This record gives sequence, structure tokens and C-alpha cells, in this order.
Amino acid sequence: MKMFSRGLVSTALIAGVLVVHTSAVAGTIRIGATMRMISENGQKYGQMVADEFDLINKNGGINGNTIELSLLNDECKSDKGVANANKFIHEQKVHLIIGSTCSSVSLPIVDVTAQARVPQIIPHSTNAKITQKGSAWVFRVPVSGRYYAGVNAKYTGENIGTKIAYICAADAASQNDCDAMQDQMRRQFNAEPAYVAQVQEKEVDFRTHMLKIKSANVDGIMIAALAETMSRALLQSYEAGIGKSVRRIGSSSASNAPVPKIAGDAVLGVFYTAAYAAADKRPIAQLFNQMVRDKYGIHAPDHDFSQAYDLVRIVEIALHRANLNLSDGSLAADRTAIRDAIASVDGYRGLASGPISFCAAPTPQCRDGNKTPVLIHYTKGGEEFETEVLARVPMPINFGLE
Amino acid sequence: MEALLGFLIFGVTIGVVYGIVALGISLIYTGLDIVHFAHGEIYMFGAFLGLVFAHQYNVPYWLAILCAMIVTGLLGIVIERVFYRRLTRAGGGYTVAGMGMIICGFGMSVVLQNIAFLIWGADAEPFPVNFGMPYQIGEIFLPKSYVATAVAALVLMGGLHVFLKKTKIGLAVRAVAQNKDIAFLMGINVPLMISLIFGVACAIAAAAGVLIGPMQSVQVEMGYLMLMKAFAAAVVGGFGSLPGAILGGLLVGIFENLGAAYISGSHKDIYAFLLLILVLMFRPQGLFGVEAKVKA
Repeated sequence: MKMFSRGLVSTALIAGVLVVHTSAVAGTIRIGATMRMISENGQKYGQMVADEFDLINKNGGINGNTIELSLLNDECKSDKGVANANKFIHEQKVHLIIGSTCSSVSLPIVDVTAQARVPQIIPHSTNAKITQKGSAWVFRVPVSGRYYAGVNAKYTGENIGTKIAYICAADAASQNDCDAMQDQMRRQFNAEPAYVAQVQEKEVDFRTHMLKIKSANVDGIMIAALAETMSRALLQSYEAGIGKSVRRIGSSSASNAPVPKIAGDAVLGVFYTAAYAAADKRPIAQLFNQMVRDKYGIHAPDHDFSQAYDLVRIVEIALHRANLNLSDGSLAADRTAIRDAIASVDGYRGLASGPISFCAAPTPQCRDGNKTPVLIHYTKGGEEFETEVLARVPMPINFGLE
Repeated sequence: MEALLGFLIFGVTIGVVYGIVALGISLIYTGLDIVHFAHGEIYMFGAFLGLVFAHQYNVPYWLAILCAMIVTGLLGIVIERVFYRRLTRAGGGYTVAGMGMIICGFGMSVVLQNIAFLIWGADAEPFPVNFGMPYQIGEIFLPKSYVATAVAALVLMGGLHVFLKKTKIGLAVRAVAQNKDIAFLMGINVPLMISLIFGVACAIAAAAGVLIGPMQSVQVEMGYLMLMKAFAAAVVGGFGSLPGAILGGLLVGIFENLGAAYISGSHKDIYAFLLLILVLMFRPQGLFGVEAKVKA
């Protein structure tokens, strides 16, 4: 009996210690991030996201809980992105998915996260259809392509002319940028395209198109393509003898560092819309530029960096607000709590040129967070490139949805 | 008319590059009875090596081409000796070993691409070379880089022709290409000649890579499409025919540019393969090929 009661006391003590231990141990917020990390820039902004979450943990975490980030490379391939998302959801049981950084990958992931009821927040994908799918689980930090097209078209029609040739690469973002720009030129100026060419995502020879564009005597050429493809097209437009008087208009990927690096002087005068310009004079932007330069060796961070940084801050705010249990049985409730907390972020001001706000309705109006494109042009090419901000344009919430 | 001339110039400049790569593929096929599916990656390696010589070691462009050719040629010899020799010894063509060689080529292509990725990363690298202001012929601007490409291609073709037709080693190479057993009985060092054929073919591919660099920049994935076009060129010209490879390259380049100009600019790559299908339908042996493909 004595032994029995001693055993009971011991068991009770151990149990008590375990209970205390369980309640004292912080929970883990699992986040899965899938991004395009094949280029130097991609690897570095992926690293920046990991570092920023690491910093949050070092500073005490989120309400005493730590963030566990799983970062995977999708190489901008939709099959890999979907596989990553499924791995996050079904194997790692994540609370939140970040990604992707390519529209062609983010688009199919929206269906996966909607079905599994996991919140998804996107650092960089411009295709307007992403938020038009009506998923209640998706949030977009970057500017939607519908806003970019509106600003590009207005500036082009009013300052360049309305006779525009279009070179449209086959990736989802470029196709969307190209179609939206043509649509806006029609709506705003009743202008039909002077020439349209659909090209491969990684096309290398644009010279035939450029010669045809030259003979069409256009006012401008819009090149909607990923960075490397756009650079080649810019260079070859000069090889075909198209002079500087014909303005080159870039899709948002013109902001990526490989464009000025590869295109060199051919990038001079190219204008485009993006979410962020390293030429931004605000103190927060200058500090950010300095941090990225010192820590990651990037001469001038583009909007891939700024948007990834803003995303981490928004996630941090939302996680602080969310009431999380972080037990095995609370996964679904925690995911819903995180979704609702992100939806409650209103008027966040960070590196983006305007406030980022979300709301509960699963509509583009609520889920396209940033509504302020920046109009930028290149003033110097090469690795030490320079840009100038032409305008910041807050857009009406319904723009491009009529 | 000026536009047509412009399209033809574009077709010829890219066509000679297709032709040079096809020349290497045909040379390997002639000598070893194998189709080398990693040739696109050899071309990519050559382009990167040219870039390294030109920009890291500040070697003049023409010398960079030569250096890239030498290093890539040696790399080709190593690949042939270490990886392909066992398979080619067992026979090529329509044999089981020939099929193994094709699969091995695919594998080598993936391996080389990943090695290049580890060394140079996935970013496209610019290959700026200052050729000076373009020539202006009427309304046509003719960049000097195009002229340089055409001249370099002519020099390479001429050099290869002289090597094969006017030198003793060239004669030995041709003998090995005709019949390895008889060549061996005649006292020719057949393994050495096979390595030489492979090395020369790889060196030629490297030259093509360095020539295309200033026009299209250099990146790890550049080999795949070039390989497809070069295969089309080799088949159009007649697989195994060296003059046919060059002519095939020119035809593919011109055909795809004229197709893009006058039919539809979108999906330009279709035209090269359309030409390939037409040639296979109406002259399966290619323009310069012989009908019987069974060798002596």
C-alpha cells in the first residue's frame, strides 16, 4: 500500500511536471514557402524571407510561439509548385503557405489551398486571375496586373502615342500583362494593336518580329516577358535598327536586375510599372536598400525583394492577431484564424508605395492588397543600373474589373 | 524588298550557327555511328567558357573562341574516353549498344547542364562584344556581329574541309568513318581517331556557342532548342553529310525566318520542324544524304 501510494505520488508529480512542461513549451507555427529560387536574385530574396522569420524567432517569436519555415524552390514550374504546396499541406501540416513568385505557379496553387482550406499569401505574382478565382483563402501582397496595365496604357497613350506593337511571351504573367495593356489601350484610347507576336517563354531570336515592327512605324513596343527574354528582345530591337524615338514599354518584370544587366544601354528609357523602385527617396526605402546591399550584395533591390519583405511584416502582424491553439486538433481552426487575421490587415504601410489592405470577401477588391503601382524608367543600364520614379498612381479599387 | 533582304540576313546568320552545330553532330555520326544527344550542352559549355575567357581573363573575342574550342575539345575527348568508349566499342547504329548510347547521351546532357548550373548559376549572362557601328545598306542595318558570325562559320567550315581532305590525319579520320576494322588493319590508331573526331565536333560546337553569345546572351538552358534545330538541319541536309549539315542549317534558318515574316511570327519554331517533316516525306535521306544508310 505504501509502495502503491508512493508510486501514485510519483506518477502525479511526473504528470504535473509534464502538464507544466506542456503549457510552458511554445507552440510552433508552421509556414511553407514555395518560390522561384533558381536565379541569384531568387535565391537571395528566398534567403531574406528565411532570415526575416529567423529574426522574428530570435526576438521572442509570435506571442511566445516560434515560426518554423520550410522553404522550397519551385523553379517557376507549376508542377513543382503544386507538389510543394501538397507537401506543405498534407505532410508538413502547415498553417500558412507563402508563394509562389510566378503567376503560372501561384494560379494552380490557389485551387489547392482553396480545396484544403489553407491560407495562401502571395509575395509576387501579377496575373489578375489569381484573385478572380474567388478563393476565400488567397491574399496577394503585390500589385495586380490590372492596375499595371491601366497606368502603362494611360502614360503610353498620353505621352508616347497609340500605335503600339506587342511582344508577348507565353508565361502566365506576361500573357496577362499583354492582354490587359491591349484592353486598356482600347478602352482609354480606342487604339488597336499595330502588331502582336506571341513568343515562347524563353525565346531567343526576336529579329524577324523587330524588322516587321520597324516597317510598321510604331510609336512604342511593349515587351511583356520574363527578365532574360525581355533583355534579348530589347537588344535585338536596336540590332534591327529601331531607333530610340520608339519607346520601349516593359512588363513588371522589367524591374528585375537581369534586365539592365543583360540589356546594358538598350534599357535606357524603358519604362514600366512595378510595386517598388530602388530610386525611392523615402527613408524606409533607403534603409531597406542599404540592408539588402549589405546583407545580400544586391546593388538595387527590385520589387521581388520589397514585396517579400512586406509580406513577412504582414504575416507577422496577422500572426500576432490570430488566436492560435497550435495543437494537432486545432489545425483547421488555426488556419482559419490566420486567414481571418490576414484579412483584418488594413492600411499596412511598408515598402510598397501605397497602403496594403485586405478584407474578408473573396473578391479581387478585397484580396489584391497593394493598389498603388509606381511608374519607373531606366536612366542607366548595366550592373550599376539606375532608375527614376515618374509617378505613383493610387488606383480605384474596382479598376480593370468592369 | 528591303524587308525580305533583312529577313534573309537574319536567316543566314542564325542558319550558319545551326549549320556549325549540325556539322559536329554529323561528324560524330559519321565517325562513331552514334547520335550525340548531349551536343546542345557541349555548345552551352563552349559559350560559357568563351564568356569566361573573354570577360574574366580579358582575352580578345577571337582568341576566346579559340580557347573555348580547345578546352571544350579536350572536354569532349575526356567524355568520349571515360563515358562513351565502352558503348561505342560495342557498336553504334541500330544495335542495342547504339540505343544505350542514345540514352547515355541524354544522361550526359542532364549531367552537363547541372554541372554548368553549379558553376555558373541559372542567370542568363550578357556577352557584350564591341564590334562597332553596324553597316547600313539602304534602310537595312547589318550589325557587324552578324558578319563576324558568318565569316567565322566560313573559316570553320573551310578549316574542317582542309583538315579532312588535305591532311593525313584527316584521311585517317575519313578511313575510320568508312570502316573501323579495315582502318585498323591499315595501321590507323582507331581509338585515337575516334577521340579526335569527338574532340573536333565538340570544339566546333563551342565555337558556335561563343558566336551566338553576343546575339542571344548565355545561359544554362540554351542548348536544348539549338540541339533540336541542329538536328533538323542535319536531317534536312542528310544525316552524316558535312556539306549537307551546313546547307541544312542555312535552309532551316532562312525557312523559319521567312515563315515567321510572311506566315505568322508567333510560334516561329514550328517552321524548322515543318521543313524537317517535308524533307523526311519527300526525300528521307536528306538533300545530300545517300539512300542506303548501311555502311560498308
